[in-house]
Amino acid sequence: MQAKHTLITLYDYELSGNCYKVRLLLSMLNIEYTSQTVEFYPAQQHKTSWFKSINPLGTLPVLVDDDLTLKDSAAILVYLASRYDKSENWYPAGDAATLAKVTEWLAFADSITGSASQARLAEGFFYQLDAEACRASAHQLFRILDEHLWFAEQQNQPWLVSGAEPTIADIACFPYVILSEEGSIMRQDYPAIRRWTDRIKRIPGFTVMPGVFPAGPAQTT
Amino acid sequence: MNLQLAKQQWQPIAASTDLIPRHVFHAQLFGRELAVWRADDGHVNAWENRCLHRGVRLSIGINDGRELVCQYHGWRYANRTAGCTYIPAHPADAPARTICNNQYPVIEKDGLIWSCMADDQPEYSSTGFLSGEKLVLRSIPVNATVDVLLEQLTDHADNRDNINLQSTNPHATHVSLSINDQHDNHQIDFFLQPVDSHRTVIRAILSGVQSNTNESDKLHNLYRYNTTLTEIRELAENEMQRLETPEPWEVVIKPVSELLAHMPEASNRANGLLRVKVASTDNTATAIKSLELVSIEDQLPTFHAGAHIDVHLPNGLIRQYSLTNAPGQTDRYIIGVKRESHSSGGSSYIHDSLKIDDVIAISAPRNNFPLRRDAVKTILIAGGIGITPLLSMATAMHHSAQPFQLHYFVQGEDHQAFSEVLSRFETSLIVHTALDPAETQSRLNEILQDYQDAHHVYVCGPGPMLDATRSIAEKNHWPDNSVHFEYFKNTQTQDDTVPFTVSLARSGLTLQVPSGRTLLEVLRENNVDLPSSCEQGACGTCRVAVTAGEPLHQDVYLSHTEQQRGDCMMTCVSRAKTDSLTLDI
Repeated sequence: MQAKHTLITLYDYELSGNCYKVRLLLSMLNIEYTSQTVEFYPAQQHKTSWFKSINPLGTLPVLVDDDLTLKDSAAILVYLASRYDKSENWYPAGDAATLAKVTEWLAFADSITGSASQARLAEGFFYQLDAEACRASAHQLFRILDEHLWFAEQQNQPWLVSGAEPTIADIACFPYVILSEEGSIMRQDYPAIRRWTDRIKRIPGFTVMPGVFPAGPAQTT
Repeated sequence: MNLQLAKQQWQPIAASTDLIPRHVFHAQLFGRELAVWRADDGHVNAWENRCLHRGVRLSIGINDGRELVCQYHGWRYANRTAGCTYIPAHPADAPARTICNNQYPVIEKDGLIWSCMADDQPEYSSTGFLSGEKLVLRSIPVNATVDVLLEQLTDHADNRDNINLQSTNPHATHVSLSINDQHDNHQIDFFLQPVDSHRTVIRAILSGVQSNTNESDKLHNLYRYNTTLTEIRELAENEMQRLETPEPWEVVIKPVSELLAHMPEASNRANGLLRVKVASTDNTATAIKSLELVSIEDQLPTFHAGAHIDVHLPNGLIRQYSLTNAPGQTDRYIIGVKRESHSSGGSSYIHDSLKIDDVIAISAPRNNFPLRRDAVKTILIAGGIGITPLLSMATAMHHSAQPFQLHYFVQGEDHQAFSEVLSRFETSLIVHTALDPAETQSRLNEILQDYQDAHHVYVCGPGPMLDATRSIAEKNHWPDNSVHFEYFKNTQTQDDTVPFTVSLARSGLTLQVPSGRTLLEVLRENNVDLPSSCEQGACGTCRVAVTAGEPLHQDVYLSHTEQQRGDCMMTCVSRAKTDSLTLDI
């Protein structure tokens, strides 16, 4: 919750949903950081030897905090929440079942990246991928996600993991869901997902990125 | 499915629980996309899912509780009317009332939202549900035709002993099944929503649920039928693999014609009148009565902050009153009426004779005092009953969390009207009580210090106060176009002695305006129809463009700059300095 003393560096690309996950949590936790742009497209800076010396996998994002270098969005979310969120809501380490549920959704988020994000790479960044197959997998996942969220709503649970507050599971799943139209994946058939994305947009500290619109204010009375 | 028959019927488009506050639901029926949203007052809107401006989907827009805002260029549309209330690229203008999105009929019944694409909708009649509680099951979108789904549903019933098919309706979008097992006698009514030629949403209502069923049993039922319907979806989608996918239904979006969008407002006062009923009245302050007007027949038209209406009283008098509620609050109009000490029968009739449930006629709202929503700082200055248009502006800005200051000058505390609404503005409201003219001027001088770019002041009140405000603003270097004012009446001495000639460039007419007659009267006699309202040079409704000659301005509507520019005039009071004028009509 408090601003950091030594500055965090995020190796970042504005149009990357995985980088957006990290930017979202940094903003929601009100953590100061510097952003180091790595041009993913068209320059492919993430595949240069300069960047590979930082992350041999050549993937974004990378976060550097003091001596620690982290290179996977889920790992970064886990680290930021564990280290900087005093409330322990974002990554509830104290409760085994809840923690396991969060981890389950982090894996689900990777599946969304492997489908919805791939379709977006094919459509918007000219990657040679089977966009149709990516879309079909994404729709299968979205059906599961929508069903889960609809039943959660029935039990007055607004987030992916039961509890009053959002967790990093929501942050990990949100970006490639909300950017899905850029891969020609419509969300019309997923009303519970659409409502959940509105709720995420109303979390204090929420920020947008290109392709993501803000929500209006919630009803107050 | 019989498509033609099905289109004549009410079809579900959403579940009631889909429409949570401040959300826009994305629906589709017979190929037509709809933006469906519930306003804070509970009203459900089903609109063409397309902004009139650039065609962007309104389902990604912002539901602010009263208006729907397009994400692309910020056009705002009002609850109920779908009329455009504000165009950010034209901040100084009130949008034409005819800029209005297409709307579709909506009914909320039995836990679902229904719409009908027929020109004449039949009465909605509920299905014969079993008694007891009803449970709306989770809707299941399926990539299959209505016919394929119907087949799967009936097969499902045929293959099970405990499930019986009871009925299907003639156009084959509704199937009723009865389910009898050891514990329950349930009925499920399936409503197959024809989304597109090959896409269908299964909506289902379970009835016969015991009314004392606890939450976990309800949840159990919801899960159980969700599993069944998911299986049916899989079967139907597999079946679709073997069939040829039909072409999507063609959807024609009714255009909003250019002609309609730019048509001048009707001028004939007998036409275009709306009948409204006095729903409630309130003696909101000494000598000030507020009236809540609701429509009898049609939806009240869209209005914008600062608008006024003509009120046609049963005694034949016509008076102008500002609307005090905010755009988007389209279920009623609220006006405030001060009893004039020398009333000629207008305000005294409203105070003494008008009763609750009385019917009166009003004009559609006009706005010659529009609020910009792009100001860096907005100052509202009200004197006495001049609070009315400013109350509408303040309510609109308060609702969208825009900063403003409302300075309200009153004679005494008991003269402060609309206290309940005003109290919501908290520190944005500054009341100045019982100041003499000199004190008022010095207070206005304090308020109008430090003009900066994009600051705007709006002032409405008695003539002397407006004159003072305008001259103080000028001294403090406020440009004319940042000072917005509305006079109640024109108290300037009028000179109607000098005759002049007027040429109408578009109509090709040349007319003589003799002494003792107004330009407006002469135009009307010659069948040149112009809108008008106050007919004393205060409201701005009868403004026309001047292309040659120099007008003699006698109105209190135009700013000094506008008067000096000489390119427009009020036909009800203004005349000519030159022998002749050419008007752009």
